[in-house]
Amino acid sequence: MLLRSSSGPGSGNGPSLPELHRRLKWVALVVLLAFGFLVGRLWQLQVMRGDSYYERTVSNVVKERYLPSVRGKILDAKGVPLADNRPAFNIYATPKQMTDATRIELSRMLGLSDDELAKLDERLAVGKKRDPRSPVLILEDQGRDRAALVEQSLTKLPGVEVHHEPYRFYPQGDLAAHLIGYMTQMTAAEADRLGNQGYDPSELVGRYGLESAWENYLRGKKGKELYAVDARGQRLDEKTAATLIAGERTTAAVPGANLVVTVDVELQKIAEKAVSHVAAAAVVIVEPRTGKIRALVSKPSFDPNVMTGHLTRAEETLLLSDPRKPFIDKALRATYPPGSVFKFVTALAALEDGQGAEDESIFCTGQYQLSKTTFKCNGSHGKLDLVGAIQHSCNVYFWELAQRIGLDRMAEEARMFGFGAPTNLGLNGDAGGRIPTKAWYEKDSRYKVGFATNAATGQGDVEVTVLQMAMAYAALANGGTLWVPQIVDRIEGSDGRPIKTYEPAVARRVKLSADSLDTWRRGMWKVTNERGGTAFDHGTFDLVPVMGKTGTAEIRTKKRKEEDERDVEGYHPTRSHAWFAGWAPAEDPDIAIVVFVEHGGSGGRVAWPIAQQILDGYFTKIKGMPRPASDDVRVPNARGKVLKR
Amino acid sequence: MRGTGLQLPRATIGVSRWRRFRAAVDWPLILTIVAICTIGLFNLYSAVHDSKHQVKFDSQVQWMLVGVIAFAVATIVDYRAMVRLAWVGLGIAAALIVLARLQGATGHDDRHGSTYRWLFIGGFGIQPSELVKVMMILVLARMFQDTETSSRYEPRALALRLIVIAVPIGLIAVQPDLGTATLLILIVLTTGFLAMPNVWPVVHVTLAGLLAIPLVWESMHEYQQNRILGFIDCNLAPDKGSCWHTQQSIFAVGSGKIWGKGYLGGTQNQFNFVPEHWTDFPYSVWAEEWGFAGSVLLLAIFAFLLVWIINVALSARDRVGAVICVGVAAMTFWHVVVNVAMVLGVAPVVGVTLPFVSYGGSSLVTFFIAMGLVANVSLRKHGY
Repeated sequence: MLLRSSSGPGSGNGPSLPELHRRLKWVALVVLLAFGFLVGRLWQLQVMRGDSYYERTVSNVVKERYLPSVRGKILDAKGVPLADNRPAFNIYATPKQMTDATRIELSRMLGLSDDELAKLDERLAVGKKRDPRSPVLILEDQGRDRAALVEQSLTKLPGVEVHHEPYRFYPQGDLAAHLIGYMTQMTAAEADRLGNQGYDPSELVGRYGLESAWENYLRGKKGKELYAVDARGQRLDEKTAATLIAGERTTAAVPGANLVVTVDVELQKIAEKAVSHVAAAAVVIVEPRTGKIRALVSKPSFDPNVMTGHLTRAEETLLLSDPRKPFIDKALRATYPPGSVFKFVTALAALEDGQGAEDESIFCTGQYQLSKTTFKCNGSHGKLDLVGAIQHSCNVYFWELAQRIGLDRMAEEARMFGFGAPTNLGLNGDAGGRIPTKAWYEKDSRYKVGFATNAATGQGDVEVTVLQMAMAYAALANGGTLWVPQIVDRIEGSDGRPIKTYEPAVARRVKLSADSLDTWRRGMWKVTNERGGTAFDHGTFDLVPVMGKTGTAEIRTKKRKEEDERDVEGYHPTRSHAWFAGWAPAEDPDIAIVVFVEHGGSGGRVAWPIAQQILDGYFTKIKGMPRPASDDVRVPNARGKVLKR
Repeated sequence: MRGTGLQLPRATIGVSRWRRFRAAVDWPLILTIVAICTIGLFNLYSAVHDSKHQVKFDSQVQWMLVGVIAFAVATIVDYRAMVRLAWVGLGIAAALIVLARLQGATGHDDRHGSTYRWLFIGGFGIQPSELVKVMMILVLARMFQDTETSSRYEPRALALRLIVIAVPIGLIAVQPDLGTATLLILIVLTTGFLAMPNVWPVVHVTLAGLLAIPLVWESMHEYQQNRILGFIDCNLAPDKGSCWHTQQSIFAVGSGKIWGKGYLGGTQNQFNFVPEHWTDFPYSVWAEEWGFAGSVLLLAIFAFLLVWIINVALSARDRVGAVICVGVAAMTFWHVVVNVAMVLGVAPVVGVTLPFVSYGGSSLVTFFIAMGLVANVSLRKHGY
């Protein structure tokens, strides 16, 4: 024992404080218990939980910051950028270090407006609540001058930082906006879900179009920087940081891959210009030889720059109250009754089955009687053979064919051409549409023969997408190869090195005899090239031979206007949809084209002139064909009226 | 040496007085204090170096020199003479508390009452409540200087003294400095338990005190209540500040693991995550940098110091000396236990220093004087 027994009380009179001697064991007990307790607690903190506390202290000092990766570009077939990046200068401040003096100095230096100051204060206040030690963005996307001013005086502005961050930029404005898409901030739920995939809650994520569908290729991989801070959040110098953080402190960001699309910006521009005078429309142009999409238009459009940046409340309301639904892709997502452009399904099914023949004539009285219902044709065409019926778009002829082959046979033929199922483009919710069958009707109620009559002319319950129609006409143009539409040609690294090239993919070889196809094509030829053709009467295209089919799809039920919708000039929701589907040149065509004008009226009068204008642009500007100088060449204007030059 | 009452060991003729004095000095006690002071200085350097608080290190060294002189004086002047004047000393200390109060009331604003704790004399700030601790120990020695037959242990006499003792404690409590007040009560009770011939009155007073806790709670300031609430459960305290201190202190201690992060290597300490770590939380600095090994070592040194003081008490030549040692032991014990418990998050955050390790002149000098008293008793045990 440490207690010295040898040096007891100096006298022999007994201890000087006998009480202490008597209670010594209590003293020993209490001291032992108290110190034992403290040692036990130390054991618990330092030995048992030491590792986890160590982690905590490291996370106190070591902070990490994401280094943004440069997002991949979206380029057109010729390398013209559709989506690009530009440098933006963002000014950050750490709330804990931001004093009034700093705020005043910053405000004076940059000449901040009251609005900017108010926003700055608000952001600082929010940041202070969340984590006063981590920097918050106080001034976003500042000019080069302001950034330089701040960077020069960083010593006078403690806690202020300037970061150069790449911002998404769409140089073509609202061109091909549905195709390109845009980016927005993640929702809270997405942030939770994507958090462990390396997303930062403040990041933007592809929201629409290619930006969304090809997100994984475009985004690249963020880098990370570890740095050390003291208790006030003040960043410590590099030397100190090196002693605190083992290993690499920065992991460089990996830039995203570039997407090269099959679309040609020039053709896209021509197509968008051609529909500029109508309120709502869609255009799809594909190569029948490959299934590559050369232009993809959905109107009305939006500016992805605005969507990606800061959409104001007013702009948002305007977009959301638009009855034309600007955010629904009219080429891929929306489905419409196709009208007469669908008639090839009826004709080919009948011809293949031997239920119809090119030279069989049927007399059109202008109406068609089926039990108690009378169906009205678009005119009294008299005696017509099949080619004539296509040329004049005589409904009676096709109604008669429909009676012979039945609804399910037509549905079978339609499905062969890709209707009723998504095209697998994998973009913007690429819809399947609807091809009704007997079974489908009988699910809800009784089947009526009139349903087949309606379907024969692309009315009733038939609904298709504009893209499906384009792929089907491309198949008609190339002799029966139904392609999977292709929009991405290849993926390239940020340095241009190829990563992946996509080959055209065949969806199906449509079983089709050459004779049946020729019959249909002869009809199409007459539509655009002979007097009485539904298109011919509204102008001709003389640069190259072209063939096509018009459609005027009637609206079955008047759509009731929703409460929050506003009126749009030139948009009449009660009118028919105008269609034109065709290709050029007539033999071995370069392009197949489908023009759709929502509630545009007559296909021949409205859609066909648009197609002419696009074809004119395509052959003169892109193919470089000289326009014949002679006076008798008729150039259609936008309204489809034929003008003499 | 008669004048001072200093009795040196009867030694061989020819041995000088100095050598006899040197032989009588309690070297183990001094070496233990030197060891703790060395650790304290090293630790303080780590806590304040390279910061605006760096001057605190120099200041602490200066106060240590003052402390050594105070130690020498407290050792050489006969403790029996001091004890005779104990009541007067306590009165003076109490008067200084009142003076500090008046000075504070006229001068500074009340920031949690901290200005009332300080008495400023010519630029120096001292805390009179620290002086009260020493005086209280001397008063206790005087109270318990007689054996059990004395009339001093009659209930009325005890009650009267208790009331007089309560006055300075009350003054400190309303400063408000509940930590020091509580500590004084603990010193009085502990000494009473070990020095009263009949232990029961002390038990009764203790029980009465425990019953009075709700009353004390009611009269406490809000920030004091918050600290205690925060200690019980961090979510109860409306002010998370004190809670955060304790949390960061626990992180610091725990992160030291077994061998510590190395001298000057404690990130919690170096980058100021534990606030005011040089005064109330130096043990967290030590524990972070030296780990479980160092933490236990420092506790062991304090334990040895305690054992040694008790040892001196046991071998003291008279009852007065023994009680002084018991009082000093009680004060050291409670300071160490409460401070370390606070750092380890098992006691509420109260301003109780770690002897010789915490930064602060008043505390340092007080402990030097207290240890001087022990050395004093130890020195004189050889007399008859």
